[in-house]
Amino acid sequence: MAANFDNRDDVSFVPSFCKKIAEYIKNTDIWKSIFRVGYPDTMPKRMAVMRSSFYMHLFPTKVGIHGMKLKYSWCMGGITFFLFLALTITGVLLMFYYVPEEHRAFDDMKDLRYVVPFGVILRNMHRWGAHGMVFTVILHMIRVFYTGSYKPPRQFNWTVGVLLLLLTLLLSFTGYLLPWDQLGFWAVTVGTNMASATPFLGYEGPFSKYLGIAIDNDIRFALIGGTRIGPNALIRAYVWHCVGLPLIATALMVFHFWRIRKDGFSGPM
Amino acid sequence: MSDSTIKTDAMIATQPGYEKMPSWPYFIWIIFLSMIFVTILLWVLSMLFNAPLEEAAEWAKTPNPAKAPWYFIGLQELLVYFDPWIAGVLIPQQIIIGLMLIPYVDTAPSVQGCYNYSKRKFQFLFFSSGIFLWFFLIVIGQFLRGPSWEMYWPLIDYPLGGHEWVYPGQPLKTSQAKLYSLSLPVGLTLSAIFFSVGMALPVLIFKKYFKQLGIIKYSLVAIHVLLTLGVVGKILLRLVLGIKYVIVTPWFNI
Repeated sequence: MAANFDNRDDVSFVPSFCKKIAEYIKNTDIWKSIFRVGYPDTMPKRMAVMRSSFYMHLFPTKVGIHGMKLKYSWCMGGITFFLFLALTITGVLLMFYYVPEEHRAFDDMKDLRYVVPFGVILRNMHRWGAHGMVFTVILHMIRVFYTGSYKPPRQFNWTVGVLLLLLTLLLSFTGYLLPWDQLGFWAVTVGTNMASATPFLGYEGPFSKYLGIAIDNDIRFALIGGTRIGPNALIRAYVWHCVGLPLIATALMVFHFWRIRKDGFSGPM
Repeated sequence: MSDSTIKTDAMIATQPGYEKMPSWPYFIWIIFLSMIFVTILLWVLSMLFNAPLEEAAEWAKTPNPAKAPWYFIGLQELLVYFDPWIAGVLIPQQIIIGLMLIPYVDTAPSVQGCYNYSKRKFQFLFFSSGIFLWFFLIVIGQFLRGPSWEMYWPLIDYPLGGHEWVYPGQPLKTSQAKLYSLSLPVGLTLSAIFFSVGMALPVLIFKKYFKQLGIIKYSLVAIHVLLTLGVVGKILLRLVLGIKYVIVTPWFNI
């Protein structure tokens, strides 16, 4: 089955001097020091390249054909992770141009749209990528459920996946406030108002008055650093969005992927 | 490439029960292609559509309606039917806990690694209806709710009005007048009947499954199914019979 793809001996259209130059480059010490195995065109080399390269060794040397089919996996887990990487890169670039300060944040957004070269593309990619990641992580969960891939031995990895879904939502939600426009401001106001209704811990929640919980010491106050969305909420959202939540998500993702490597891709027993 | 290598590949791929292929190049190729595809898609989307940016945030100017991001709008829509501590805290918390519990209550190993409906009808239906409910509420909240969280057809112009703040939990002043709540004994009795019958009935009907699951797993499943049905039921009670609260206490209302 796999062998059908292997007939790529025919490279006769490449001029011979190109082959000679390529051969020369491949024999230099520098090339060999970077690509230790060479082009993996034989089975031993294919195994070796997966083991001896840092990035490749994150993947197994061999994978089950079953789990590779698009109609089985939808590629959604991988795409979610790729979007996370894309969001990290565009996010770091956005951090060069954005200051989370009450009187500056919105002006920086305007600058990104009208002044910064490619700023509007940068922000659009971050925004649509974030919505995309929320969507693909939900699709990933749906796929894993329908294929029964949370069955033993993968139960705990599903649980970690649920936490990663929650973190994705929180990452997107904290980013929503940062443009400091009416849309994000009021969406986050609505969202964080819910926290004030938490039983025992929110000032509007049941039983909280017996614990001395008031508007200036409840869980919502801890989240937004004030009694309403203001400069403190902005810097808190920024730090959680750019540092805290990505670190937690990365730690969980490392675990999530490691468990996939150990348990293998799900497939028929 | 020598012939022997191709043979080895083919041998590995065709061995019964050992359908594996080398990650290089096949798996890496799939990853590479989907990365390129997603990058192009993201780039084209970003060229075509600008991310929304409204006017600068202003505390004194409350938009009506103020909507949460789309993935949380289902919870905001639930504020019509539940107090904030249920819609905004209890329900999301139970969704997360319930999702985490799935692999620990559904342990039958027979159907894994393939799409299968016939051997897991209940799991399939319950999960699918949960996902459907989540997105159904999102669509209602995102596209059909206008000022004061009233129902509006999509694309219709909202009536011009002030910026008076109407908290989404207390919408519809006029329709609120028609709502009434059950008295505490009635509400408690109805809830007790709902939950005890809901817990007991499946035990009597599906004896085999109850034996398989055991009392703890069964209770966890049944409670979460009943809570989900309770959410739908309370929505229907409100819409059909105009009941605002089923249980009214001095401390909280449900």
